[in-house]
Amino acid sequence: MRTFKTLALIAAAAAVMALPLSFGLFWINMIITALIFSLVVFSINLLTGLTGLLSFGQAGFVGIGAYTLGVLAKQGHPPLLAGLYGVLLAMACGFLLGLPAARLKGHYLAIGTLGFGILIYQLLTNSVDITRGPMGLLGIPTGGIDKQTWYLITLAVCLAVLAALAYMDRYSIVGVVLKMVRHDEIAARASGINVFAVKLIAFTISAGLAGLSGALFAAYARFLTPDLFNEQESFRYMMMAVVGGIGSPLGGIIASLMLTTIPEGLRVLGEDNLRLLVYGTMVLFVLWFLPSGIGGLVERLRK
Amino acid sequence: MIALELDGVSKRFGGLQALSEISFRVEPGEVLGLIGPNGAGKSTLVACITGVLRIDAGIIRFQGSDVQNLPAHRRARQGISRTFQKVRLADQLTVYENVVAGLAGHWFANSTGWLRVLQPLSTHDATTMVGEVLERVGLADAAGTVVKSLPFGRRHFVEIARAIVAGPKLLLLDEPATGLTEPERERLARLVRDIAAQGCAIVLIEHDLELVGRLCDRVTVINHGRRIFSGTPTAAQNDPAVIEAYLGVNQLIGGRDDARD
Repeated sequence: MRTFKTLALIAAAAAVMALPLSFGLFWINMIITALIFSLVVFSINLLTGLTGLLSFGQAGFVGIGAYTLGVLAKQGHPPLLAGLYGVLLAMACGFLLGLPAARLKGHYLAIGTLGFGILIYQLLTNSVDITRGPMGLLGIPTGGIDKQTWYLITLAVCLAVLAALAYMDRYSIVGVVLKMVRHDEIAARASGINVFAVKLIAFTISAGLAGLSGALFAAYARFLTPDLFNEQESFRYMMMAVVGGIGSPLGGIIASLMLTTIPEGLRVLGEDNLRLLVYGTMVLFVLWFLPSGIGGLVERLRK
Repeated sequence: MIALELDGVSKRFGGLQALSEISFRVEPGEVLGLIGPNGAGKSTLVACITGVLRIDAGIIRFQGSDVQNLPAHRRARQGISRTFQKVRLADQLTVYENVVAGLAGHWFANSTGWLRVLQPLSTHDATTMVGEVLERVGLADAAGTVVKSLPFGRRHFVEIARAIVAGPKLLLLDEPATGLTEPERERLARLVRDIAAQGCAIVLIEHDLELVGRLCDRVTVINHGRRIFSGTPTAAQNDPAVIEAYLGVNQLIGGRDDARD
């Protein structure tokens, strides 16, 4: 009976995941974008949900990943390699930001990471020689892949990261180490855990995930402007993570889909004025009725 | 080799001299009682030994070498372990997970540690070592219980399990008997003797003098950050300076009567 249930659940999930393949250009586009965004939400799940560190500068790492791929691919480097460089550069920046930031706590950490995000945005805007600044980076040579394939690629990447996070969170020893750091640094140190190193590594991996999201976005959209990576975007990612439940990657993916498609859908339906209202109401509703987000609701329903 | 040796350890917080010139030593397998009234500097001393606080003067030697420049986590990995006066556990995690965290910290000591912690929670190393230690502290039945739903007394034993899971050379117990029921106190006493018998040096901070008298070979009494006595527990209870500073004349009589009951 139990195996039957599991099989039915897997079949249902597969059916839902296959559904977008039949969607029109507009909707599949939206879902691919939402999946790419959800990688940033995962990076917040890892950093904030598991390790307890707040970052309002994630869009900066997304920007680093995106522009590295964009600039290098336009110079003729193979896109896959350029994407890899983008992820590595984001990780390097995450490590460097972590060196001072891992010593900060609470509000100070939030302000520090916010500052980093603004710094990257300003760099992308003003380094006109490299990024073309506000004129935008056009025609990144990563065309020739159809939407269905893009959907499958982003879905595969998301599921892989989701599985890795779920393993870390629930089944691995390292997950316990991260939670110990989040819960009580003094007790963690007394148990031989190097709190600073753990935070530094969390920053680095989280930055890598955000960078991966950026690289995928650049390759998919083939067009970049610095505005896609300003601090408002950082707040939007944080909003998605909160609506999804800060410790729940699965909730994050759902929140990312909801907060991307519903406002856009309303705009297409000609209700552009309603867009912000609905967006705000949704966020308020979740915070008011589901303080642990969509993930918390799923958890409660399961019990 | 001497497990722990303090020589002239001093610590100042602004205008308050929290510790001045504290010296004592603990041998492997020995249980040293560290007593003194509230605010005497006992927990400050533990914080200095474990590396949470840096000392202003003096030397702390662990197994013969100065640990002054080692951060807290490095001292823990070398074998300095502790429990806290106010229990510090991750409430939402299970007993097993809390104890595994204590084990994992020590794995980082060698370079392959990062790979080892990527293993599943149910990996063989972890389940056997944690299983054994939970058996020793009497929590074998509670491995899967979330700490939040555990009675307060039993949480002390989770902390002790976390502290001893990696086989420390020095264990600092900060008021472990607070809030324990009578059977739990007995279990604690047996456990402390058992840990010491394996060659671990123990520093026991405790207000319960009856327990200190039973478990400790020697006691060091501190008051206002100064050592005022060092000797056997019985001698401590008859020492005029200790009586005046720590117990108060009337309370001593009451306390000893309690102990005889």
